[in-house]
Amino acid sequence: MEQSRKKFLKNFFIGAVSVPVLIEACKKDVESNSGSTGSGNTGSGGSGSGSCAVAPTETEGPYPTHSPSSYVRSDIRDDRTGIAMTMNITVKNTNNNCSALAGAIVDVWHCDKDGNYSEYGTGYTNLHFLRGRQTTDANGLVNFTTIFPGWYNGRATHIHVHIFNAAGNSLRITQISFPEGSGSAVVAVNSTAGQAYGYTKGMSGYTYATSDNIFSDDTALVEQASVVGSLSGGYVLTHTINVAA
Amino acid sequence: MKKGRIIQFCYRKIIDNASEKQWEKYVFESSYKEFRMQAQLYNQDKKFRTIAEILHHVPAAERLHFLVSPSITGYIQQLKGIVPDVLDNLGKHFLHFEKYRFEIINSDIQDISHHQVAINFFSEPVEWIETIGNYMLITRSHEKADEENRLTHLVELKPFFSIYSLKEEV
Repeated sequence: MEQSRKKFLKNFFIGAVSVPVLIEACKKDVESNSGSTGSGNTGSGGSGSGSCAVAPTETEGPYPTHSPSSYVRSDIRDDRTGIAMTMNITVKNTNNNCSALAGAIVDVWHCDKDGNYSEYGTGYTNLHFLRGRQTTDANGLVNFTTIFPGWYNGRATHIHVHIFNAAGNSLRITQISFPEGSGSAVVAVNSTAGQAYGYTKGMSGYTYATSDNIFSDDTALVEQASVVGSLSGGYVLTHTINVAA
Repeated sequence: MKKGRIIQFCYRKIIDNASEKQWEKYVFESSYKEFRMQAQLYNQDKKFRTIAEILHHVPAAERLHFLVSPSITGYIQQLKGIVPDVLDNLGKHFLHFEKYRFEIINSDIQDISHHQVAINFFSEPVEWIETIGNYMLITRSHEKADEENRLTHLVELKPFFSIYSLKEEV
């Protein structure tokens, strides 16, 4: 009898005095924990309350809105400096007489003038410089505004490209090479004149495409882009990539 | 005057198939879609299903955490610098973050229900003044209650919420 009276008082206490949101908070936590998947020891951190704690007492919101990947952009420079370069890449479909492929997703990425890629460093910065994504138009074309890439040990100057269909399934993973002969953009950018723009490596120790692991078998120069322009006016890279879509 | 200790909190927010809030669902779906796209770089023969398998066979795939993270950048920005879920004892969000790090815990290119990610939020430095019961009394450097008094917050340590760094004031 005493026991049930205590229980009654306890229930009464919770129901009448304690704020209803407190009960709600505990209930919700139990639900989200029991619904958790995976290894089972992580719980769902989503509710953020491992114990029976206070629930939010603030006005809800602002409400989240759908947000595209931050890869989706035409200007991929962020904070990177260097000689301006526009990239025009056309995607064609070998399964359709090499006509333009519209609606293909084109990812590009390349190193900065010093030969560095954006990646997780030792810090916690989330830099994604010189990485971008565009969808081909009716002419199969995408454009990017970027800087002329530098080079790093063991590799010729190059741009990485990953082409997907609209569903995100990979159609082609490839790289674009650059002309490297006398008078080429690569030679000009890595010349003494290019140093004024921050390209300080020169051509000493440079790996030419003919000795490059990726490009050396490309004797027909299928992977080589057309690159025209000048140091002061910037360069325009034009290239076509065929995929089987 | 007591010597203060400057600390940074880390809140590790786990998002998986059981997450219920709309923001969490967006992060879940966007990061899964991006994982499926980026994983193809390291799985061109389609031999592997899970990120664990990919990482085991292709060490360079460690980059996937970084490569998938732009899929949630827009959602992080929507938080406007406030650490989600972490409440003071008045039930208010109070903690600001300066840095975060996204990682994929588990995923499977054929089954979204196995997708599980973590966002580690690293808070701004705050001063830890006192410990009262299970609560820490902390204060943000610039917040004042009035001319003479500093505004304080009582906060409880919980699973996935911890002290990340400490600096003793001299």
